[in-house]
Amino acid sequence: LRRQTAFLDEGIASDPELVGGKAVSLARMRSLGLRVPPAFVVTAEACRAYFRNGRLDTALRSEIERAISRLEEETERRFGGAKRPLLVSVRSGAAVSMPGMMDTVLDLGMNPRVEAALEREGGGRRFAAETHARFRELFRRIVLKRPDAPLPDDPIEQLLLAVIAVFESSRSRRARAYRKRHDLPDDLPTAVTVQAMVFGNLDGHSGTGVLFTRNPATGEAKPFGEFLACAQGEDVVSGTRTPEPIERLAEALPDVYAELLAAGRILEEAEQDVQDIEFTVERGTLWLLQARSAKRSADAAIRIAVELANEGKIAREDAIRRVTSEQVRAVQRPRLRDEARRSALLLTRGEAASPGVGAGVAVEDCDETESRSAAGERIVLVRPTTSPQDLHGMIAAEAIVTEVGGTTSHAAIVSRSLHKPCVVGCGEGTIAALVGRSVTVDGSHGEVFDGLLTVETFRTDSHRWLAQLDAWAGGRLLHQLDE
Amino acid sequence: LVLEDPDFIVLHGLALRRRSDIEGLEQTTGLAREVIEQALDRARKANLVALARRLYLLTADGDAALGLVYPQRFAESRGDRRLAAACERFESLNREFKALITDWQVRPLGVAKLPNDHSDAEYDDRILQRLCTLHDRAEEILSVLSSSLPLVARHVDRLRAALERAEGGEPEWVSGVRCDSYHAVWFELHEDLLRLLGKSREEDR
Repeated sequence: LRRQTAFLDEGIASDPELVGGKAVSLARMRSLGLRVPPAFVVTAEACRAYFRNGRLDTALRSEIERAISRLEEETERRFGGAKRPLLVSVRSGAAVSMPGMMDTVLDLGMNPRVEAALEREGGGRRFAAETHARFRELFRRIVLKRPDAPLPDDPIEQLLLAVIAVFESSRSRRARAYRKRHDLPDDLPTAVTVQAMVFGNLDGHSGTGVLFTRNPATGEAKPFGEFLACAQGEDVVSGTRTPEPIERLAEALPDVYAELLAAGRILEEAEQDVQDIEFTVERGTLWLLQARSAKRSADAAIRIAVELANEGKIAREDAIRRVTSEQVRAVQRPRLRDEARRSALLLTRGEAASPGVGAGVAVEDCDETESRSAAGERIVLVRPTTSPQDLHGMIAAEAIVTEVGGTTSHAAIVSRSLHKPCVVGCGEGTIAALVGRSVTVDGSHGEVFDGLLTVETFRTDSHRWLAQLDAWAGGRLLHQLDE
Repeated sequence: LVLEDPDFIVLHGLALRRRSDIEGLEQTTGLAREVIEQALDRARKANLVALARRLYLLTADGDAALGLVYPQRFAESRGDRRLAAACERFESLNREFKALITDWQVRPLGVAKLPNDHSDAEYDDRILQRLCTLHDRAEEILSVLSSSLPLVARHVDRLRAALERAEGGEPEWVSGVRCDSYHAVWFELHEDLLRLLGKSREEDR
């Protein structure tokens, strides 16, 4: 019989089927000696039992209560307590990440008594009220699914309802449709991670942020990240506040920053890849919330693979395997030569809406664009705005420029779908000066230049990391693309 | 000149798609193939429609003819306050929709923004969740419009179909331009509302 609940230190780090990918990551961090908020998992096995019985049986209920007791001991807090209350987050975690699963509920365990206790504990009235409000909003939307539903006061009842909601979400229409399409079992269960909350919004020695162990845009082997003092992660996600560069943390809390970098090095070493680490600082103590392999640009992917191999962290064969042919293709996209850009006449500037460089004669009419392009001319489509009627012109054009509209405009959206360079919002009346001229559009920088500028097409000597990788691969990376 | 159904619907559908083959018009109008073919034949004889590279398109005459029909045919709808209110709500939803599609196509990476290569299931999933919520709100608004405007119910079915493909793991059905993607249908729908109600498109900044 497999267990229905498990703590992070109970040998679960290699069992994603049972506890889900996120809990595995937490358990790994913990086993590396990193500070992770205490957590337990209600396992996929419990989910299976729930599906079988159609309800949470008494044995599982009391097991969850016992797990909460242990969490209380580890944190020296009480669930629903009038003194030092324990709040938890509840999140879904299946072995495979799939659509339709439940969003995370934060601050669970909250009620009016707990709010008063949080205030007394030193968080202040505003912190306590905000935390309560956040819980109400999340619990109603995610678990109760009605904006005006009454909230249960009992923390255990809140927790059981949230666990059931996670289980049920793995049977949602969306999750099922996804599994069907990917040939996954229809009844795939999910686990639930219940973790003690830590707060980045308590005081000036608190905050939240993200650390990349290397720069995800350029690949440079230098830590990169963001920090927001006195805030919770949701403040960043919701865009209500703008984070500052990670150096802000180095100035404010140098010891925490040093500890964070050390954690980054340990994780990168253990996972043999660049890490994207979410963290919270609570009253000067660093807590790691999540670590995963960082998403990266094509340039960064190639540079990182080569440098990890050079540092001896991965084998050269692994470095080659980690770079996709799409990434190799992406770094070879034409770019404007710096010299060409410096000496060129800038005709107009707008928002960079879709990357890449395209050049040709500026034409306003879509039918004309289509016919001249079919006749072999290179055309840049310049329009006040675009609409669905202009699609044929956009398909035929080398690049697209508009007078009005931002990065969410039709022109921007369709250009990105078509992988065409696009500059939008150059200002009303600007295209009249362009029509009939030869122009070069730099969609990465939002600039339109006079004339057909020299475009730097890819040469191996201009990208030393790709050249290195290709040499290791015996030339087959670039060769493959020539075919 | 009086344009009666089904000819009006076929020409109007062609106006929304701009250039289309018969299959595309079937998608947009929901009419049977032979009905569309006969309507297009009549329209070509009247010089309202031309055929270029196997795609049909409206002639200037065809465009003008449609322009005369809208105000008559939709006079009542254009004066309907409930409809106007629904359209206003749709416009505001449209702004949200465009921001959502932008998030779908461009993902933040540190301070940089990069084209979304759809390799991060979690990121995509968050946006698909938003799209589902937005779709439910759109259906609510469109149900008010569908009783008065002929193609709206059809658009809703197509939106739902695109959403299901996208949710099923085919990202091109969100904003691709080479299939009946959610974004492609949404724009046809928006264009439809604007034409019937006699408004012009506004790009927001």
